[in-house]
Amino acid sequence: MRIGILSYAHGHAAGYLHALRAIADVEIIGLADDDAERGREFTAQFSERLYPSFEALLADQPDGVIVTAENSKHLPLVKLAAEAGAHILCEKPLATTVADGQQMLDTCQRAGVQLMTAFPMRFSPPAQEVKQLMDGGRLGRILGFNATNNGQCPWHERPWFVDKALAGGGAMMDHVVHVADLLRWYLGREVVEVYAQSNHILYPEVTTGVETAGQVMVTFDNGTFASIDCSWSRPLYYPTWGGLTVELVGEGGYVTLDAFKQKATIYSHKRQRGAYGFWGSNTDQGMIEEFTAVIREGRAPVVTGYDGLKATEIVEAAYRSVETGAPVKLPLS
Amino acid sequence: MGTVHAAGWAATPAKLAGIFALDTERAALLAHQYGATQYFDIESLMANVDVVDICVPTYLHRDLVVQAAAAGKQIVCEKPLALSIEDGQSMIDAVEKAGVHLLIGHVVRFVPEYVLAKRTVDAGEIGQVGTMRLKRTGFQPRPKPENWYIDLSKSGGMMMDLMIHDYDYARWVAGDVEKVFAHNVRSVTPDAPGDYALVMLQHTNGAITNIEGAWSYPPPMFLTGLEIAGSAGLIEHPAASSVTIGIHMMETEKTTGPDVAVSSSPLAESPYTAEIRHFYDVLTGATTTLRVTAADALEAVRIALAAIESARTGRAVSTKEVA
Repeated sequence: MRIGILSYAHGHAAGYLHALRAIADVEIIGLADDDAERGREFTAQFSERLYPSFEALLADQPDGVIVTAENSKHLPLVKLAAEAGAHILCEKPLATTVADGQQMLDTCQRAGVQLMTAFPMRFSPPAQEVKQLMDGGRLGRILGFNATNNGQCPWHERPWFVDKALAGGGAMMDHVVHVADLLRWYLGREVVEVYAQSNHILYPEVTTGVETAGQVMVTFDNGTFASIDCSWSRPLYYPTWGGLTVELVGEGGYVTLDAFKQKATIYSHKRQRGAYGFWGSNTDQGMIEEFTAVIREGRAPVVTGYDGLKATEIVEAAYRSVETGAPVKLPLS
Repeated sequence: MGTVHAAGWAATPAKLAGIFALDTERAALLAHQYGATQYFDIESLMANVDVVDICVPTYLHRDLVVQAAAAGKQIVCEKPLALSIEDGQSMIDAVEKAGVHLLIGHVVRFVPEYVLAKRTVDAGEIGQVGTMRLKRTGFQPRPKPENWYIDLSKSGGMMMDLMIHDYDYARWVAGDVEKVFAHNVRSVTPDAPGDYALVMLQHTNGAITNIEGAWSYPPPMFLTGLEIAGSAGLIEHPAASSVTIGIHMMETEKTTGPDVAVSSSPLAESPYTAEIRHFYDVLTGATTTLRVTAADALEAVRIALAAIESARTGRAVSTKEVA
């Protein structure tokens, strides 16, 4: 099958490319980017073909495309790709607003193409093991989750992450959706209420006005509540980019997930500080294999555009809650 | 807690003069251990001491503190100060009128890792505090009728009795708290473990604190953790990182299942003893800098009441509402 990549705005595109290369029946047709320099950087680094435009790439009729553009450009690119008949794997967050996300779902449905959201945690073996444990029922009624997806502010490598017009927001837009999706998946339930607070104290050198820290409290329709810390609370000299943790308290037990704990600490003359080397399974590989299987088998993905939309709804509610200072009910009207 | 405080006083030049407790057998043992007199009524005890140290259940704090203040005694009292603002304020009024100290046992202000983090923040090493995460999670106190901890009307429950430590610490590190949002669940079945809460504090200076509290972990687990992120750095102290020694014994015929002690970090001096030594220094005039004031303790109670109110109503509750 033939796969193209739309935009190198998101650094994850490099990881997805490596994952694609490891799949026997995949032909990577190349990349298109609306930032010519960024496109050249990608193709020079990875020796892939650079198309002059998104339209030119899509005219080559790929079976599937991976959209790794800036968040607010997901909608126009997904529309273009769907109309060209390509199945789509879209980077998270699916959209910066529920309205955009809904348009993406509608367009893909009309065009008869599959839309998958890039939630790699669904393919993390430690995260999957917790899901199995929950499904086994031994944890009983789940009282609550205390979860984090903390990281470095990614603006030093990709300035658009702190540009509200392109990213849709700051840390809340970037980091809430991974945990939100994971918890929706774990419980098989939907969120009915969101409360959030955010601030801009961390990374004072970021001057675009987006939030660099946030904490979000959600309540599911079965009463289980959860806290999601989405702060960019890891400094640039932290030993790794960040991490994702979930602590789960059930009537039957207490479970912790530290999804990136499979690491060695490396000290070197070169770095002059300790750094984590991750040796756990590559979640991108599982996710990209699922996307190619969707195309190969002509079926819906295990993590859909709808999942992306529901995570986006939680983020939009979080921004509304920050604005009003009060909890916000879901579904949003 | 009286036993713990007694050990603390024994490490100071003070003389443990007398002990009164409803459990006269335990009081007798303690009196014997420290060479103190056992009293069978509070009035006689108060007539023969300079300082009273109150370790009774929280709902009894007010009356004893007011009585001790009226008798002109210096006062040490366990946390939480009181179960209501009204009670707490009347205690503060009483000691101010009497001109005596009221020193509240917010021991976390004496726990070394918490002190280190506070000093690091105060030294400006991590800049302005942006977010904080505090964790204090353990198993449910045994549901015996004589256990006052599980009686909401006596202890205020987990969100008051346990989480007060972290409300106070958050305020110590990041300043006054403006708004509180909380979720809480208590078990529906009496035998099942289940008291779990997540509390979010909005500080006046913009910082946000997440506090997790539980009386719902499998025994004998008890975990504490802290993380403070600032504009110029980060302090991480995840749960269990203070465990310095691991003891793993082969099972013998005598052991039945896991028999694990609550994790604690070996220290030359327990935080409780450090706390009592500080109180001794305050009361003897050796120091005039109080680590924790009664007003601080009252503010911690205010945050606790705001959190409990938020969990009950589902609203974000301003601390100004709590009077």
